[in-house]
Amino acid sequence: MALEFRYSDKNPSYPISFVAFRAMHTRIEVLLTGVEEAVGRTLAERVETEMKALEHRFNCHDERSPLSAINLRAAREVVEVDDDMFLALELCDTFRRTTMGYFDVATDTAVAGQMSYQLDARRHTVRFTSEGIRLDMGGFAKGYALERIRQILSDEGITTALMNFGNSSVAALGHHPYGDWWAVGVEHTSERGQMAHEVHLQGSAMSVSGRSTDGRYHIVNPATGATVAGDELLLVEGRSALITEVLSTALYAAPRAQRAAIMSHFEGYRATEIYCRKGGGVERREIGK
Amino acid sequence: MNRKEFLSDFGRMGFAGVALSLFPWLESCTEKAQQEVSGERARIGIIGTGSRGLFHIQHLVQMPNVEVVALCDNYRPHLEDAAQYYPEAKQYDDYRRLLDDKSVQGVIITTPLYLHARMTIDALRAGKRVFCEKSMAYTLDEALEVYNCRKELGAVLFIGQQRLFDPKYIKAMQLIHEGLIGDVVGVRNYWYRNNNWRREVPSPELERHINWRLYSEYSRGLMTELACHQLQNGSWAMGMLPEQVMGSGHLVYWTKEDERDVYDTVSAIFTYPNGVNMTFESIISNKHFGMGEQILGTKGTIDLVTAMHYTDEAAPKGSGMDQLIAQIESGIMSNSVFAGTSWAAETATLAPGMPIMPNVKVVSGESSVGAEADGSKELLEAFIHAVITGKQPEKVLEESYYATQFALLADKAMHENAILRLDDKYKVPYEPLRMK
Repeated sequence: MALEFRYSDKNPSYPISFVAFRAMHTRIEVLLTGVEEAVGRTLAERVETEMKALEHRFNCHDERSPLSAINLRAAREVVEVDDDMFLALELCDTFRRTTMGYFDVATDTAVAGQMSYQLDARRHTVRFTSEGIRLDMGGFAKGYALERIRQILSDEGITTALMNFGNSSVAALGHHPYGDWWAVGVEHTSERGQMAHEVHLQGSAMSVSGRSTDGRYHIVNPATGATVAGDELLLVEGRSALITEVLSTALYAAPRAQRAAIMSHFEGYRATEIYCRKGGGVERREIGK
Repeated sequence: MNRKEFLSDFGRMGFAGVALSLFPWLESCTEKAQQEVSGERARIGIIGTGSRGLFHIQHLVQMPNVEVVALCDNYRPHLEDAAQYYPEAKQYDDYRRLLDDKSVQGVIITTPLYLHARMTIDALRAGKRVFCEKSMAYTLDEALEVYNCRKELGAVLFIGQQRLFDPKYIKAMQLIHEGLIGDVVGVRNYWYRNNNWRREVPSPELERHINWRLYSEYSRGLMTELACHQLQNGSWAMGMLPEQVMGSGHLVYWTKEDERDVYDTVSAIFTYPNGVNMTFESIISNKHFGMGEQILGTKGTIDLVTAMHYTDEAAPKGSGMDQLIAQIESGIMSNSVFAGTSWAAETATLAPGMPIMPNVKVVSGESSVGAEADGSKELLEAFIHAVITGKQPEKVLEESYYATQFALLADKAMHENAILRLDDKYKVPYEPLRMK
């Protein structure tokens, strides 16, 4: 899909730039206000370029990607990586530990409770702890990408924007021009178009995990290697798009009894289990409350 | 909503010019028109100072260019209520004496329906500029007589059809005329309440005087008191008049309490020349659905009461963000339902509604007196402007005239259990209010 860019100055107080493109197996959309068309277009192109670069970096299915180089070699030798990749691997390991192992980029190949790779901060190197390890950083890249977009826009002085990563992760800069927040409705899973829950974003982010809209279960429990078959939605709200993304995945994979313990490591984040009933009913339970 | 907000809402949407060309009776709402009368005052007399009369007074007291100089009611407590607002105004118990009062330029008639035609004609012939509450008259003949009288005199006459001045209706009609919902294929109106529609009566001999709405000697009940407001929706949306009317009305419940003889349950179907039906239903012993007015089109629906647009077309990709764009373009904040577990491109959704304009105040229809933000104030302002200038706005009277005629015709159809057409003798020139 080519870059889709739209500009509207129908409301002269808040001219809108809108960009949408395909990357990382989904659709990324960014809406921002307050800049002229040329500036909006330049920003749109920059965001797309950056996303394509991230997609390449973290794509384990692309044999020429930096991540594939690690997957190919790190079991046999120490692999030197650049700053960005090293930071990403550090963060992933931190998230693994703070989520009691329920967020793990080595999910498919991990041994429960064990670290899959070792990092050397002085040399900026990574080495797998055993044969057969393979890192899939898709879950990390999504939140990381949103953080990057937010940073790019923020550096350019944008104060009002909404970023949507495939509908499951949404991040905001500032608030809606006509309200104190961006009001994002989480769709009911069996009653399409109906709202199951409303989230108010104010310079913050949200992420939803659960069964795909086509009905598939796709999140794997790193402890068992089995696909998690939960029918609830797991919603996380908080400051960082990266953390909300990581947490919603980890909490969905974790048994209910352990979710509050995971949340206790994350201050300022709120997680909600949303149970959508046939016919439109909704039950919600805030984790740790 | 005051005038400034009213105009600013239209202005923000680049709408003011279009609205005026489509709905010329709004011309008095423009800044230019207001400047024309700045510094001048309309001297007003109010005939009938019961609940609706007092409702108008609440608006009049806010208008600097109005001086209420005379009040009239033959029920003393009501007259005293109004005099509290205007202690200097002369008080009358006979409307003819008020009409003799040369200091009165314009009159507002808020009396029981059976008096409307006589009082309006007398007032017009006395040289007054007249605002009369809806419905225009108690019979088809009287309505025609009023219409012809105004025409003969070239006088100013407004009827209390406030939806014609309600910004959300005006915006909705513009969108309908632009084709937003495709071809109009149905019009639904309903008005449900659960109350006995009675006013408290201090002593039994005043029952009919105060509760005139309940007796067919004075009122046509739900059709003239409620339906009349909604019946212009079909004509306004489609630019044509109904061809035939059928209906059914009954006293189902409230005779348990009193001896009223107007129906408490009515259903009517108005069929247009193109076969489209407009329905009206009212039940006053169940209120669950409240008041509703919906224009149904081949591509979507506009709910006039809530000023929401619902599309029948599957939501396109990224529709949540599209909604947000539309909101910001129109200066609106609302939620957008798009978040979920993952993007599924082709999932057809029942799209959530979109507000058609900002700051909409929804009127429940529960009050028998009136409601804020339903166009009543704008209508009154337009009348005051006309009292000062002596200019009758275009087209507005014909809309009111036909709303009354079809309310009366439906009531007749119910009583005669017949399918009726409006006799040619009642037809007056009607210019459709449709965008070309």
